[in-house]
Amino acid sequence: MPRSDGARTAPRKASERLRRLLVVVPYLVRHPGTPVDEAMELFGVSEQELLDDLDLLFVSGLPPYGPGDLIDVDVQDGRIWIGMADYFSRPLRPMRAEALALYLQGTELAETPGLEEAPALSSALDKLAGALGPDALGGLPARVAATAGSEVEWLEDLRRATTERERLRIEYHALSTAETTKREIDPEEVFVALGNWYVAAWDHRSDAERLFRADRIRSVARTGERFEPRGLEGAGRPLYTRGDEDLDVRLRLSPDARWVAEYYETTSVSELDDGGLEIALPARRLEWLERLLLRLGADAQVVEPKELKDRVAELARRTRKRYV
Amino acid sequence: MQPLERLVNLVALLLETRTPLTFDQIRSKLTEAYGHEDVNSAKRMFERDKDILRDIGVPIEVRSVDVWEAEQGYTIPRDRYYLPEITFTPEEISALLVAARAAGDRSAEDAVRTLLSGAEGGIMSALAGSTGAIGGARDARLPAVGEAVASLRRIRFSYRTARGDTSERVVDAYGLVLRGGRWYVVGRDVARDEIRSFRLSRFASDVADEGDGSEPPDGFRAADHVQAGPWGPGEAKTAAVVAFSPEVAWLATKGVAAAEAIGTREDGWTLVRVPWQPGESLAGWVLSFGPDAEALEPPELRDEIVSRLEAALAAV
Repeated sequence: MPRSDGARTAPRKASERLRRLLVVVPYLVRHPGTPVDEAMELFGVSEQELLDDLDLLFVSGLPPYGPGDLIDVDVQDGRIWIGMADYFSRPLRPMRAEALALYLQGTELAETPGLEEAPALSSALDKLAGALGPDALGGLPARVAATAGSEVEWLEDLRRATTERERLRIEYHALSTAETTKREIDPEEVFVALGNWYVAAWDHRSDAERLFRADRIRSVARTGERFEPRGLEGAGRPLYTRGDEDLDVRLRLSPDARWVAEYYETTSVSELDDGGLEIALPARRLEWLERLLLRLGADAQVVEPKELKDRVAELARRTRKRYV
Repeated sequence: MQPLERLVNLVALLLETRTPLTFDQIRSKLTEAYGHEDVNSAKRMFERDKDILRDIGVPIEVRSVDVWEAEQGYTIPRDRYYLPEITFTPEEISALLVAARAAGDRSAEDAVRTLLSGAEGGIMSALAGSTGAIGGARDARLPAVGEAVASLRRIRFSYRTARGDTSERVVDAYGLVLRGGRWYVVGRDVARDEIRSFRLSRFASDVADEGDGSEPPDGFRAADHVQAGPWGPGEAKTAAVVAFSPEVAWLATKGVAAAEAIGTREDGWTLVRVPWQPGESLAGWVLSFGPDAEALEPPELRDEIVSRLEAALAAV
């Protein structure tokens, strides 16, 4: 996520600066000799803003402002020391909305299976709830129930190969083709997005960058071969990009199948009189759509292409043979 | 004098004082800030500063300082201002930062910053080794709904059902459930007088506060009211058995947390037990595997699948 904090040039509002000061100063008091760049990174502030704020502290303090009453700030060799600021040695509490936002986001991420930070995150949230109490969080902690997703296999292997730059041989089930195939990949990044784990890799089967969802990997084998990273787009890459060869598929959905429009990327959605929808969606392959349509049954109709209609019928015939 | 300097000095003064200070006392102590000759304009400036402090969460208490209650004094109570002592390990703080940043939510990140001073050293190295977690579009209404649940408020919002019908709902918020990566609020739907669950991603309006809500019934568990799997809400009492081809069996057991492989058929297909309740939509899930899956038990499930396939073939 790009951060604009450092690039901002307009002077910040006094209230925003004050709030930051009441939080930064206690950190600096308790961590004597903090490097300037550490403070910049942690508090999302530019060097100039930080130094301006500290300059102002020089002249702050309690009346009658004798030499012993003023806050003492010392910046030397890129490190910061603050003294004489006992009343600012502990931070202001987070505001209620901030504490709630953090608690909920933390709860969400803590339930991501395979997240290395999850145990630390859970214990941090417990400490937070215990210390802030009902003032900040109300009855929220007792009223939130989160269930962990299913365990993800292979994460350890994927992470190790990413760090050690080792080529892997995987069996992968591609939803688009409904096929499991073997391929060699050079994994460059392992990340979690919306509750699912992905590995961004160079795929030697398609000679292109691909994202693989970890829970669709059937097996992982080491090859012992090293690779040079290509600087892939990785986590910044959209999960789906339209290609030139994509087909335009048009479907009519009944009211019960409206979820399809929410779940898949569409290029157009229009309301129908019966409460249903007509949607257009681009598809590179039709295999996944055949299966989706078999699942939807009478709740969906193919408008075009006709090929898809035929293929669904064929799939229904083959499936029907299982029940004789 | 810079506004920021004036505000810092005011906070320091009101935190340090043992007894509430009247405006005149504040004026005489902070002469540079409020000492100008025009008392009214000094007073207006002080009022504005007080509002700024309250906006950023500084608690200012007003108390009468004489028995006739004619004069007001101001103070910042330390126990409400200061964050209680919480010590975090570098790993804990770094995990909180990762969570706040993944959400791309500034207010969550601001909350972590207030906690940093209680961190033991070594945050930077803990951060350097942390996971790359990226967020997607979060539910914009989560904070408002979280606040409603925290204080048991009644809320009003427009809601779109899975069928696409949109209507206005008034709900006493009782609990939040995260399931399958989606947030649900569970509460009493006031018009229907029933406990219902609502997926936040289907909210079609902002959340309006409608005052105090009600207490949840005894033994209330929010998770019991939210769809738990292909079989519906709560825990399934019965189970279905589905056979999967070797090609997809591994995938099928991964997709549903409670699915369990119970054996292998002679032809090499894997038998999988899946929690299921009659009337729920397991048939669609089985059909999504095409000819790679065959429902075996119970007979109702088999019948439903056959009739859906017949309907599909008849439509051609």
